Amino acid sequence: MSEVDMAVIKPEMMKSYIWLQTADGSIQQVEQEVAMFCPMICHEVIQKGMGSSKNYAISLPQRVNPAMLSLILDYCRFHQVPGRSNKERKSFDEKFIRMDTKRLCELTSAADSLQLKPLVDLTSRALARIIEGKSPEEIREIFHLPDDLTEEEKLEPLKNTTDDPRIRLLNRLYAKKRKELKERQKLKNIEVEEERVDDRSVDDLLSFINGDNGDSKGIKNSKSKKKNRRRKDQQKNTSANEAIKNHNKEPNGLNQVCHSAEVGQKVRAGVGATSNLHDVEDDIFDNKNELDDGDIDDEIDPALKEKIDREVEDFARRLNSDWPERMQEILSFGHERKPVHFSLNGNGSLRRYANSEQR
Amino acid sequence: MHKKMAFSFPDEVLEHVFSFIQSDKDRNAVSMVCKSWYEIERWCRRKVFVGNCYAVSPRMVIRRFPEFRSIELKGKPHFADFNLVPDGWGGYVFPWIAEMAGAYPWLEEIRLKRMVVTDESLELIAKSFKNFKVLVLSSCEGFSTDGLAAIAASCKNLKELDLRDCEVDDLSAHWLSHFPETYTSLVSLNISCLGSDEASFSALERLVRRCTNLKTLRLNRAVPLDKIANILRHAPQLVEFGTGTYTADVRPDVYSDLAGVLSSCKELKSLSGFWDVIPDYLPAIYPVCSKLTSLNLSYATIQSPDLIKLVSHCPNLQRLLVLDYIEDSGLEVLASSCKDLQELRVFPSDPFGAEPNVSLTEQGLVAVSLGCPKLQSVLYFCRRMSNEALVTIARSRPNFTRFRLCIIEPKTADYLTLEPLDVGFGAIVQYCKDLRRLSLSGLLTDRVFEYIGTYAKKLEMLSVAFAGDSDLGLHHVLSGCESLRKLEIRDCPFGDKALLANAAKLETMRSLWMSSCAVSFAACKLLGQKMPRLNVEVIDERGPPDSRPENCPVDKLYIYRSIAGPRFDMPPFVWTMDEDSGLRLS
Repeated sequence: MSEVDMAVIKPEMMKSYIWLQTADGSIQQVEQEVAMFCPMICHEVIQKGMGSSKNYAISLPQRVNPAMLSLILDYCRFHQVPGRSNKERKSFDEKFIRMDTKRLCELTSAADSLQLKPLVDLTSRALARIIEGKSPEEIREIFHLPDDLTEEEKLEPLKNTTDDPRIRLLNRLYAKKRKELKERQKLKNIEVEEERVDDRSVDDLLSFINGDNGDSKGIKNSKSKKKNRRRKDQQKNTSANEAIKNHNKEPNGLNQVCHSAEVGQKVRAGVGATSNLHDVEDDIFDNKNELDDGDIDDEIDPALKEKIDREVEDFARRLNSDWPERMQEILSFGHERKPVHFSLNGNGSLRRYANSEQR
Repeated sequence: MHKKMAFSFPDEVLEHVFSFIQSDKDRNAVSMVCKSWYEIERWCRRKVFVGNCYAVSPRMVIRRFPEFRSIELKGKPHFADFNLVPDGWGGYVFPWIAEMAGAYPWLEEIRLKRMVVTDESLELIAKSFKNFKVLVLSSCEGFSTDGLAAIAASCKNLKELDLRDCEVDDLSAHWLSHFPETYTSLVSLNISCLGSDEASFSALERLVRRCTNLKTLRLNRAVPLDKIANILRHAPQLVEFGTGTYTADVRPDVYSDLAGVLSSCKELKSLSGFWDVIPDYLPAIYPVCSKLTSLNLSYATIQSPDLIKLVSHCPNLQRLLVLDYIEDSGLEVLASSCKDLQELRVFPSDPFGAEPNVSLTEQGLVAVSLGCPKLQSVLYFCRRMSNEALVTIARSRPNFTRFRLCIIEPKTADYLTLEPLDVGFGAIVQYCKDLRRLSLSGLLTDRVFEYIGTYAKKLEMLSVAFAGDSDLGLHHVLSGCESLRKLEIRDCPFGDKALLANAAKLETMRSLWMSSCAVSFAACKLLGQKMPRLNVEVIDERGPPDSRPENCPVDKLYIYRSIAGPRFDMPPFVWTMDEDSGLRLS
């Protein structure tokens, strides 16, 4: 059969293909319109005339392995068809992006090396959604990243520059303090054995710290005593918590105050993130019974009480004279510090808080 | 595929991923993952939020984030809103502006809350940042219209000027004319706090006319009702509008003018202002009510029937601020008409009256909680409450994220049983698992704090006044509330013990405020000594704390974590406790 005959019988043989080679050496051919959807491939074909045959296969970047190439080509195959609606495309994307994080990372990387921006955006957004709402530890685990920030850096993430020795000193101080607090944490976890059947009330322990001879009565009693003890002078006019400006009786001015009691939206301070420092112990609070009106515990949950006792004990230990050496060190560091004097003043006119004004 | 290879991206790719992560919390988490992420993140962070301007120095921020475009700073503690922080306490923004002016000529956005802003600062902003776009001053003070004139004159790219709740020295209304005639980029203008009887209407009108992208316009009280139509006529694209005074002689032509121009504002979603409102002019806004999602009537001294009529025209309302004139009956109508309601604030019209002047009780809050499935944020002033009501509210609305209840008279007991309201608030924290902010009021014992410490695991901010019996109360909160960031307490019998026993907790929080409590000067000194990373400030206008016995309670105490060390701009009535265990006067 002549070539022309073959072309008639098998029209698809006349379709153009681009030859691609992945880093592992394997070569494949891909429909031209699909492959050309990738800018990098497009560039190779047009500018360098590559990809027209097996011998001149386009070498793809190392980050594109056969599996990733296959995914990317699926993406291109769908999106390069011009007639599709936005809804269809979005729907495809949403299904397409469902894969485990490892593949998602590989795919992002591969798409980036092929300069396929829409896919890079799609995968990047998906990764961002995975990261959002997670703690640093969780993120580290998902992406298999090393925990290589030092204690100092975690505490005060500043580049330790030499122009401020005070900061370096502070960093050391905080790092030691951090370690100490962490150790205290570990101590608590080990302390399970110590079965302290403690009859003493919290008050007793606390007064032990202060060196008083506190009453040995239970909490309940002291509670009822204290109820009457502090009758606050009601002349401090402002009533409840969302207090009202004393001298402004005008409702409008009042509302100004109330307006000011705005809800703070932001979650955390943006600098010097100390969010993961305090290893918040998982509480040992038992699930209390349903809060029915008539069914309220009068005693403190014994587990809670034990926890309070232990914490107070810890602090008592700190305050007493048998301090660990480290603490002494910290104190002596403190004395070395020289205050840095800034020349800042509160500047400009300080206005009286003009309360009586209507606004 | 090796694990290592799979997760190593080029920096630009990672940066691109980070560009889709905008919340401060997430950015902080990202920066703490590992060294390389920390470095990448720090270079591409564009928005910095500093919740306490004294927690860090401007230089530190600039050094860590070399390319930020937007900064938000907060100064005074929240209780400054209730006059508990004396004048001159601090919160000056000038040092920040000065540092940034030198380092950051490309800064675009500054947002400040409860800070002292001087004309000098405003002038420096106007001079230093060529591409300055957004200035939001919330509850700030210290500046005059001269400073605003400087901003208007120089900031050619200004898009947003928002002066919500500020105290401004109104020297002249003509500052508005300092916007050059060529200036057209304004998108948002909020001057509702300005006084100025003599407003420059023509300048305002011209400004509105040429700024065709204007979306938000909140006028001040001085703008009369008959002028509003002229202004609105040129801005039918407005999305948010705040009227001036909403009263005038009742004239049909003024009314129809206003109604006509309002109905041509097809995009309007939010209304506010309404000072001195007279009911006759209210129907003018009915045509836009069906699209309204936010309505601020906290200055509108109109009675319940008018309020009810208005509210029932707004089925899509998500946010309502209103005076207690709405009464229980009005809130019931609200509950049945506004199923999308998410936030409600009810303010007292006569908080100092001995007797209630309106029929607003706990029933109104119960009605709204039962009827509005999306309600998550509430600020409610009332005169009586019961545990039963609170339990009902908690059970029916477990999606509360902010619950601020203010029973006007301190230590008010449950009016049905005369018991403390411990159980009621306990139910709130138990059922509302996502509660982030809580304000307590009424008669409360240590038990309520026990409930809070046990259940309020996501609580970030707690406000307490006239509550509790002993240190145990404070101890429960400090030891139990894992997510606590801000704690403000006044007039409670909390002393040294709980504070000292939970000293470490304070480093995990942004700040603690305690006033008229029982914390001794000795404890403050001890705390300052032992905790180098906390600034322990004693505020006492009676004179130096060491002129009184050590066990004497201090008047006010403000403790906050800081990596900038003690501040040096304190007024004479503020003392900082530090490791040198002496007093340091500024």
